[in-house]
Amino acid sequence: MIPVLQPASTSMRRTLPGGLPLRVVLGCLLVAWIAAPMVPVLLWSIAGQWRAPAVLPSSYSLQGFADLATADTARAAVSSLSLGLGVAVIATPLGYVGVLAVRALPSLPGRFVEFVLLVPLAIPPFALVMGVNVALLRLYVSPTLGVILVLVVTALPYTAFMFRSALASYDHQFEEVARSLGASPGQAARHVRYPLLASAAARAFFLAFLVGWGDYITTLLIGGGQLRTLPLLLGSAASTTGNEQLTAALSVAIIIPPLILLAGLTLPTARKRRQ
Amino acid sequence: MAARRRFGPMTGRRASTTGRAALLALLAVVPIVAVVGVSLTAAGLQSVGLMPFIGPPQLSADAWTSETGELIRSSVTSVYIAAVSTVLSLVVGFMLAAYVLAMHRMGRIVETLSAATIPIPHVIGAGAIGLLLSDSGFLERLLGMPDAFPALVSGPWFVAVIAEYAWKESAFVALVVLGSISRSVGDLCDAAATLGASAGQRIVRVVLPLAVPSLAVSAAIVFVYTLGSYEAAWLLGPTSPEPLPVRAVRLFTSVDLAARPQAMVTALVSVAVSVVVIITAVLVLRRHRSLR
Repeated sequence: MIPVLQPASTSMRRTLPGGLPLRVVLGCLLVAWIAAPMVPVLLWSIAGQWRAPAVLPSSYSLQGFADLATADTARAAVSSLSLGLGVAVIATPLGYVGVLAVRALPSLPGRFVEFVLLVPLAIPPFALVMGVNVALLRLYVSPTLGVILVLVVTALPYTAFMFRSALASYDHQFEEVARSLGASPGQAARHVRYPLLASAAARAFFLAFLVGWGDYITTLLIGGGQLRTLPLLLGSAASTTGNEQLTAALSVAIIIPPLILLAGLTLPTARKRRQ
Repeated sequence: MAARRRFGPMTGRRASTTGRAALLALLAVVPIVAVVGVSLTAAGLQSVGLMPFIGPPQLSADAWTSETGELIRSSVTSVYIAAVSTVLSLVVGFMLAAYVLAMHRMGRIVETLSAATIPIPHVIGAGAIGLLLSDSGFLERLLGMPDAFPALVSGPWFVAVIAEYAWKESAFVALVVLGSISRSVGDLCDAAATLGASAGQRIVRVVLPLAVPSLAVSAAIVFVYTLGSYEAAWLLGPTSPEPLPVRAVRLFTSVDLAARPQAMVTALVSVAVSVVVIITAVLVLRRHRSLR
């Protein structure tokens, strides 16, 4: 997810106009741009009392997080987690076989498959959901399965894209060498191809997980109130006023797990490459 | 693939490879075609009354013709939000990328922070922008101007909605640009510097042209995404005019089942606008490539 950069060259450094102070100011502005929306969230999540004109809370408490410890939130957390994992477990291998097929097929059908893999990007998720909803109801598909199906379709372009860029730079000669050393096709795939594609698979899995974990509109419309996930709880908390503590605490609770996952995915590779 | 073809033996085996590839393709293609096909067909049928939620089917173009004015207003609103958000994300995203490339340590911080915003769902981004920009929100307290603070949330210009999209998507644009140019840009800037190009010239003549293809691709993605995104427009926008997603969801969840056909019309119009934008983007990209 995070591209590995070459260290900035001296001429690149001189490419930014202005002297050092100006560059530091620009850097601070950019950091402020990225961090600004999260500052009130973090403050509200630990605020006890915070009345209007005061810039900082007058007291701090963990009540917002304590309020999260309910059976309802726990159920929603389990639903979100299973939705994210379900979407990722299905969409990651499907994206992989889709890209394999694009590469193995003759050019015309290959292009067609590639086109189909990208189609969900062009259709707003709410539009996809509204049309398919009636069909799901008439076929008696359970809301959870329906949500997973639609989200898998939404996630497929991302997983396919990840594998596509990984396979574009993948050298098949590694497998040829393994085969010439006596490995069976299965062994070559297991010991050569899969390890080389592991980081792309991890990124694809992560993106697909995010699609399920953070989804709001698909779960709302197809789930029809039966499937309550963390984003749905957040949506109803954020749409009513006076709920700042709960909104903030829920936001933090939703962001932390993927951030840990992201750090787990990127730190080992970044460290390995730097060595 | 090229390597396998070179070493690949007989045509018979290639045919069986193609057959297997076609089977693999089906695994990925069938769910997409099924969901998209069923969705668009059902939306089309419902929009003309042929697939009613209850009651007998009856062909009618009412949903398409009755509220055309409202539909156009919603489309214009959506295109306005998407266009402004896209331009802002591109400008800020390019600045972020250029800064990360140029500054070693500070750039690393900027890069990590912006990557960390990628997993934040839009519904949280919208909640966060609400806490930041609303009346008596954090920014107003920070600036200490309770009387003169403009209505950014629920105001007429969708400022908070646009801010949310620009915030989330600028990080995305920066990552796409960095991923595509970070390998080549250093050497080319060195070369340009040796040939006497000034700092400004290097940005305009080297870094920007290198980034144009990835900026164009991310522009199309950001535009289509913001056009079809519901959460921020619903939480942070005014009640009128309604962007397409908000209008569609309101009609869809309305107790009045007669509103269903109009919800489908709104959904189909959104799909049509997205498709037009994507086709335009593809055509522009093609031309750009042939020009070079």
